[in-house]
Amino acid sequence: MTSLNNPASAGDVQFDTFLYGAPPLAYPVSLSQYAIYNTPDPAYITGRINVSAFANLGASTPWPFSNTNVPLNGHVCVPHGRGPFPLAVFAHGNHNPFENSTPGYLYLCQLLASHGIIAATIDVNFLNGSNFGENDGRAIVHLEHLKQFRTWNNTAPHPLHGKVDLNRILIVGHSRGGEAVGHASFFNRLASIGGVLLDGSAGLGPYRFGLSAVAAIAPTDRQFTPVSGPTVVPDSYYVIHGSQDSDVFTFEGYHTYERAHSVDLANPTVSDGKFRAMLWVHKANHNQFNSIWASETPPGVAMPRASQEEIAKVHLGALAQAVLLDRAGYMDVLRDHGAAVAWDPAGAEFVSQYQDPERLFIQHNQEGLTVPVVSLPVQGTVATDNVVATRQLTALVGGAPTTTITLRLVWNALGSRLLLRVDPSTLPAQVYKTLVLRVGQSTEANNAANRDQDFTLEVSSGSRTAAIPASSLHRLLYPDPPPFGPAKIVMQTLRLPVERLVKCGVDPIDLRSIALVFDRRATGTVYVGDLQCSN
Amino acid sequence: MQPPKPPKITAVEVIAAQPTEADSAAIAHLSAELNRSLPQVVNVVKVRLKTKPPATSMGWALYVNDVLIPKYWEYNDGIYFTILDPQFFAEHKGKRLRFSQNGVDFYDSGVKLPAPAAASKSKSKAAKSKAAKSKTARLPLQADVLK
Repeated sequence: MTSLNNPASAGDVQFDTFLYGAPPLAYPVSLSQYAIYNTPDPAYITGRINVSAFANLGASTPWPFSNTNVPLNGHVCVPHGRGPFPLAVFAHGNHNPFENSTPGYLYLCQLLASHGIIAATIDVNFLNGSNFGENDGRAIVHLEHLKQFRTWNNTAPHPLHGKVDLNRILIVGHSRGGEAVGHASFFNRLASIGGVLLDGSAGLGPYRFGLSAVAAIAPTDRQFTPVSGPTVVPDSYYVIHGSQDSDVFTFEGYHTYERAHSVDLANPTVSDGKFRAMLWVHKANHNQFNSIWASETPPGVAMPRASQEEIAKVHLGALAQAVLLDRAGYMDVLRDHGAAVAWDPAGAEFVSQYQDPERLFIQHNQEGLTVPVVSLPVQGTVATDNVVATRQLTALVGGAPTTTITLRLVWNALGSRLLLRVDPSTLPAQVYKTLVLRVGQSTEANNAANRDQDFTLEVSSGSRTAAIPASSLHRLLYPDPPPFGPAKIVMQTLRLPVERLVKCGVDPIDLRSIALVFDRRATGTVYVGDLQCSN
Repeated sequence: MQPPKPPKITAVEVIAAQPTEADSAAIAHLSAELNRSLPQVVNVVKVRLKTKPPATSMGWALYVNDVLIPKYWEYNDGIYFTILDPQFFAEHKGKRLRFSQNGVDFYDSGVKLPAPAAASKSKSKAAKSKAAKSKTARLPLQADVLK
């Protein structure tokens, strides 16, 4: 990591910030915070769009337009130079519509622009208020902003002509905007939604942008559900959420995360080529990711705002540099938040997960609520010794019922173990870089409060066994008590390098068993998501 | 901190209104899906609240018994949603309005969905069809209904 710079530090690229908008607009005095969009930069004039098929505007907010002609307003930071530059577009979520939420991500836009990324934050305030179910509309607005950048990129006299790399786009949304980016990723491939054409004939679409990744900050989930079922994000997906979030107080985005790039039981070895990554931030709250929004938690509950913004800059900065600027080294931060320890605020605690596109499940647990088995095409057996192993549809993070099965392991004696014996001819571990396990502890009574859980991972080939303490790979934190409701059980991805096994004499070509040996804590309950060979 | 409390409903009324252009397109789409004609009427269900829920992201999903109302919007005195298919009232009138944040835990408002005045009247299909055009023109605009 020494060769990489702190992604939260400003780069050396100069940039300008422009307001864009769709005049004529005349916001009333009560909406004076939006008056800045009355006079956008003359080079950055946009059009209006009709979102009436998706959303109404709050009838108690005096917007100077209707849902048939909402403006495309925003702030964009444009790097100096010829480009083409990748594009990142941020969207806020639901909030008091009399307060302009849009500038709240300028701190992130400015960071990205300084590294050579065109970065915008968009106005979706007209969909804010005491409403529900409008997140498809938010997604359409987000995509239409991307379309605006494509139009500028394709318009000869425009300052952005030829400067936007339309195959390198990151969309980021916060809160309901975070749910919406998932829908946007899904809509991006569609020619219509219901009876609404997205082919441009009625003004909306076409889209089909090259989305490098979709990032959600403390998102909601399933407030809008397509007729085809809950949205499965088809692009690489990243989600960040705070343990002290008192708005989206269940980890809704985790449900989105679990649906994305999950195992296809019919084709378990087939990958769609996308990654997913998650960061659970202890002591972060909801509103402090937006620099405008007042904190929703009482003083002293959440980490300081500056720390939370710094964490957003480190981790979203790393994501952006990795996927938009091909600085692959920053993927290490997604794979393991420990790679950012020198950059994150001192004392900040995290839980993270990462699933690589190149993976082979050894045990994914999605075969059903049966006894645990080794997952096909890997062949083997599962045995327990003083461990109660139960597959459950446990809502680890609260909220709506989950459809993802986890394996619950309970032990009450030192030396208890879960043992997977595998047929080495069905497990080509040598072609992967890591052995990966997702595991997390709960607040159940047999886990000591506020103490890290731990066990030993024993991996054997023939007569050689490597015994690796889980704690040497990562801390398994005790859940952070939430502002209300039950504590969330957030599993940590443990990544054991195959190279480390080789150094212990384990031959990955002849990998015969993997055991979780509970020899470091006398009692405990942990939840296991899956076990993979992965890169 | 305390978890958010569901909104309290003080009254519900259903008012027939003129469809917007988007409503008309939705009515046509729904009609084709259902394979039956639907009237060019939008029933606006106004749910008057003691206090509107704060404009946060989590929000409260509104159900009529177990049926999720997929979208609702804000007006001065509360929230409203629209119903395009009158059959909805035939199936759900008298059922309780409930709020939930997770689809598991429900809060019963104690208030029932009323039937629209027009839907409770019995008219022949032909008579309905004949009167439909002029009736639609006589209906108030949704913007007026929401004042």
